[in-house]
Amino acid sequence: MNQESICVEKLTKIYPRVKAVDEISFSISKGEIFGFLGPNGAGKTTTIKMLMTLIQPNSGAINIFGINALAHPDKVRQISGYVPQDVSIDGDLTGYENVLLYARLFNVPASIREQRIRETLQYLEIQDRAREMASHYSGGMMRRLEIAQALVNRPRILFLDEPSIGLDPSARMIMWKLIRKLRDEFETTIFINTHDMNEADTLCDRIGIMDRGKLIKTGSPAELKASVGGDILTISSQSPHCLDRLKELGYRALSEPATNHTVSILVSNGERLIPLLLDSLKASGVEVETVSLKKPTLDDVFLKYTGTRIDERDTWESTRRSRRTMRKLNG
Amino acid sequence: MGINTQVTQDYEKTKWLENLGRYIANTITLTEFDLRKIWHDSTQIWVRLVQPVLWLVVFGNALSKFRVIPTGDYTYMQFLTPGVLAQSVMFIAIFYGITVVWERDLGQLNKLLSTPTARSAIVLGKALSAGVRGIIQAVAVLILAIAMRVNLNLHPLNLVAVLIIIVLFGMSFASLSICLASIFKTRERMMGIGQAITMPLFFASNAIYPVSIMPTWLQYLIKVNPLSYMVDALRGLLLPGYISSLRIDLLAIVITTVVLVLLASLNFRRIIN
Repeated sequence: MNQESICVEKLTKIYPRVKAVDEISFSISKGEIFGFLGPNGAGKTTTIKMLMTLIQPNSGAINIFGINALAHPDKVRQISGYVPQDVSIDGDLTGYENVLLYARLFNVPASIREQRIRETLQYLEIQDRAREMASHYSGGMMRRLEIAQALVNRPRILFLDEPSIGLDPSARMIMWKLIRKLRDEFETTIFINTHDMNEADTLCDRIGIMDRGKLIKTGSPAELKASVGGDILTISSQSPHCLDRLKELGYRALSEPATNHTVSILVSNGERLIPLLLDSLKASGVEVETVSLKKPTLDDVFLKYTGTRIDERDTWESTRRSRRTMRKLNG
Repeated sequence: MGINTQVTQDYEKTKWLENLGRYIANTITLTEFDLRKIWHDSTQIWVRLVQPVLWLVVFGNALSKFRVIPTGDYTYMQFLTPGVLAQSVMFIAIFYGITVVWERDLGQLNKLLSTPTARSAIVLGKALSAGVRGIIQAVAVLILAIAMRVNLNLHPLNLVAVLIIIVLFGMSFASLSICLASIFKTRERMMGIGQAITMPLFFASNAIYPVSIMPTWLQYLIKVNPLSYMVDALRGLLLPGYISSLRIDLLAIVITTVVLVLLASLNFRRIIN
């Protein structure tokens, strides 16, 4: 049998001012947790919406569990669950009603509906507060309720757009545990979008790095980090010749340094190299102020393939604002 | 071969029926959950009642005293009540698109559209719920009118007919509003558009004065205004002995509703782009 759950070929979406998604191709195996990692505006949400058949691509093919998504969007919707990035529960209904609404819209048969809802609420540990208005829930509970809405249909694939955005660290841990449990217990294929390297690293089996509409690189977190090629040494020095001397010694700077004073190089076996390197630099007249050694992270992977870092200053608010603005612009 | 074709045909038939059943069930579900919200918090119902109360109690009473508007055999309050009824239903419906824009700005609409529910069932469900909200409004206005001792024909059959056309009328304007929301997409614009539509429709209608006293050009406008047909139908049903063109009115209301629901359904996919 076909072990692929999603197969995407040359998917493209063009908005009036921007090529949001640019000929991306990838496939996801059954029961895999696959994540798109990239900054805001990379085209992650647009991709998820195309997979979820909410918007039409300009070109390309999407196949989900053997269904041609462009020809049969309703069949795809029947087997998928979607949790958008923005709050998608209805605060004017109770938690139970929020799930009941989706059980009915997904046509869960009336005979098993109540039991299904009960199980789902229990699974997400919101059964004790199911009769309360959803607007009184904490951020973490709201997210879990959103997932409950998607799970009540027992989807074969779950799309989560920034599942832990805006959550505090403990709620985030609960969310990650839940996502893994879903995969392990029900073999649900899970597709997540994230701009959080930590989330991508700890949660995903495989990651696709997205930047400016392009899918730059795909692989497991370990593979990707190994592809950076070693440890990163960051050297700061007031000496104007530091970079030149390092180049003479045969090292390559990771990117053009942001200031004249610090430069990062890629080395293997960094711990042993530091003393030797300091000696050679001193011999050629370069005074080193600080040296730091870092094992590669996904951020470094991102830097390697795109030349920029994922902007850490992006907050939830700025994300939302930029989405709003984009939507208004495109409207 | 023949048997196989028969089986396929039967399958297609039951499939078709099943889909229709789901379509209706989904539509009703959306209406039901919208009404559950009112059940949880009825504030907006009371707020919405302020305007019709002002029209009946203040405007109606004042103009009754002056007797400046010729309303034939009927008191001005009798003449005005169906007008205010229709107007208040229209007001609720025309601003319904704002709710849809709100759901769009949150993630609710995206999530709703990610279910197998047909787009047109979503539009129909929302329009129907605006119609049912219109009923709540209408009942309140009627109770107020009765309390003010306005002489109305309260035959049960007439009242049922009144409620049915109120639902249709609410649906048509809610669809218009959803259609506009799919195009304009922000709450601010929708507020402005709502105001810009309702006031001209209200004043260029037979709701607060008889058509005969208006200049000819305005009479033409009144003829193409759906609100006029609605008011005429309500007068025919509620005022004892009033001669209305009920069949034409009903036809006009049904056609408006069907056209606007279709238009809103076709346009709805634009809302999330």
